[in-house]
Amino acid sequence: MIHRLGIAWLAAPACIFALLVFALPLALLLVESLRGPQGWTLAGYATFLGSGYSWQVTGRTLRLAVLTTAICLVIGYPAAFALARTRGWLQSLLVAALLLPLSLSVIVKAFGWTVLLRSNGIVNRLLMASGLTDAPLRLLFTETGLLIGITNIFLPFMVLPIFTVIRQIDPRLTDAAATLGGGPFYSFSRVTVPLTLPGVVAGGTLVFSMSIAAYVIPNLLMGDRYQTLSTTIATSFLYLQDPQRGSVAGVLLLLLSLLVVVGSVVLARRARAAP
Amino acid sequence: MAAHLDITGVSKRFRQSMVLDDLSLAMGEGEFVSLLGPSGCGKTTLLRILAGLLRADAGKVALAGQDLGPLPPHRRNIGVVFQNYALFPHLTVAENVAFGLKARGTPRGDIGPRVMRLLEMVRLAPLASRAIAQLSGGQQQRVAMARALAVNPQLILLDEPLSALDRKLRETMQVELRRLLRELGMTAIFVTHDQEEALALSDRIAVMNAGRIEQLATPAEIYARPASPFVLDFVGQSTALHGRVLTSGLGLLVVQTGLGTVHAQGHFAPGARVLVAVRPERIVPRPAMDRDWTGVELPIAAQTFLGSRRLLHGDLPEGDRAIVELPARPDIQGDVLPISWRIADTLVFAAPEAA
Repeated sequence: MIHRLGIAWLAAPACIFALLVFALPLALLLVESLRGPQGWTLAGYATFLGSGYSWQVTGRTLRLAVLTTAICLVIGYPAAFALARTRGWLQSLLVAALLLPLSLSVIVKAFGWTVLLRSNGIVNRLLMASGLTDAPLRLLFTETGLLIGITNIFLPFMVLPIFTVIRQIDPRLTDAAATLGGGPFYSFSRVTVPLTLPGVVAGGTLVFSMSIAAYVIPNLLMGDRYQTLSTTIATSFLYLQDPQRGSVAGVLLLLLSLLVVVGSVVLARRARAAP
Repeated sequence: MAAHLDITGVSKRFRQSMVLDDLSLAMGEGEFVSLLGPSGCGKTTLLRILAGLLRADAGKVALAGQDLGPLPPHRRNIGVVFQNYALFPHLTVAENVAFGLKARGTPRGDIGPRVMRLLEMVRLAPLASRAIAQLSGGQQQRVAMARALAVNPQLILLDEPLSALDRKLRETMQVELRRLLRELGMTAIFVTHDQEEALALSDRIAVMNAGRIEQLATPAEIYARPASPFVLDFVGQSTALHGRVLTSGLGLLVVQTGLGTVHAQGHFAPGARVLVAVRPERIVPRPAMDRDWTGVELPIAAQTFLGSRRLLHGDLPEGDRAIVELPARPDIQGDVLPISWRIADTLVFAAPEAA
């Protein structure tokens, strides 16, 4: 026990740092959301939750996060397998393709997508040149364009945790399942999926919590009219000079992502405990 | 009558190297055959082809009269015990054993009793609800056996299933494994690089080298009458001397070796290069006594005391070797020991090229 505490001290600098620059401002945010001109009040929440527009914004934020996570999972899961099971130069190439984009700033990437998705951008020119469409598609400032961009930017955060988990799985387990009479689908659902679930949960929570809070990407690819909880926070503080509305949105955003993250971890644990 | 398992002309090539070279093997029902050979001889490749996990370039495999060629692994009725067991870490002991039954759609009510019966057979019933990580190596090995046997396969393949265990446990498990497979009348192919294990367990041994079967015979025959210098070297210990045939007649050879002349039975032309060999326990520590015996004077390099026995190692030029097994007592005095053995026990082979 003493030994454990001894080791735990190593985390002290990180804890103090997180406390000062993360927990403290969050507490201030919470206080701000509960304070009115006449002291403590829930008026901020009442106003925010009473407005249909706020619900629309919240719904849109959730929808964006859920869709992004789902698309990243569908694309990233097989990619993680390819990454984990290839060898040699091919694997190096795939790892590089996955990791190199991470060294680019989100702003650069999001801006890059605005260039690509424009009506005279490369994507539309390719589509028209290949004869798939006659006129340029409207991609920029649409949810489709946003999903393409945001998926591209967050995909590595889905692939990496799944890749790490797959690498620890003995490839002979699927051989064993096959020799026992399990067809490809049976083996996948009874062996591969349960064993990769921790990676899926880790990747899913990462991508979900990042995309629910995404600010730059929706801002650049959708503009001001498309308000999510995080853009609402910025608008409230910067343009509307309404710190209480911003704080309330901030607290709600935090609660939403906490709920989903904790919920999925608990669900995954329960799924593991009782297969 | 057709064989239970019939492998004919199976070949497999990986890039430039021939891993299996036109290999054939036929097995009867209930037979226990070991594939014995050094790593890289193709034995695991053959196993994977039989299980359907790998496709052969050429050849045919039939099990109980059915051509396995077009069948994927999950449609073949072949159990496999993998080298590191490949147990499902997210399932309990009982769930691992039940996996194959569930995958084949066995009625729910039949699964539980069948799993318990198998766990009792491998003496693991009390651990049915344990997680795999909580088991010892020997217990994991038994779970792997029970899991493979649960679906009542027509053939079971064992890929060095005991190699991860320590020596003592290994010997216990050998006995248990043999008993279990006999009781079930299971046809089994056992892959190993451990010749003692192969000798102890098998009905027949297929000694493999470079993608071919060098010899397929009973353990006693493999040991007493190895078909090639490779088998001689790989199975058991031996004294082996290179030499040249001096005279030959009436099936009796006189061979000039580095230690003097040695007599052997066989048919080689005078002048032929040969390898003469004898098993260590055939050798007695005295000069040749009569016409049935042959002997040499052996310079001694070292003695190894093994408790009940003592091994003498000869001091010989490169390429030759000598090993004599003697009782632990009395001590051997001096640097040179006269040794002899029956001429009938001399093994003689055409000398391997460039050896």
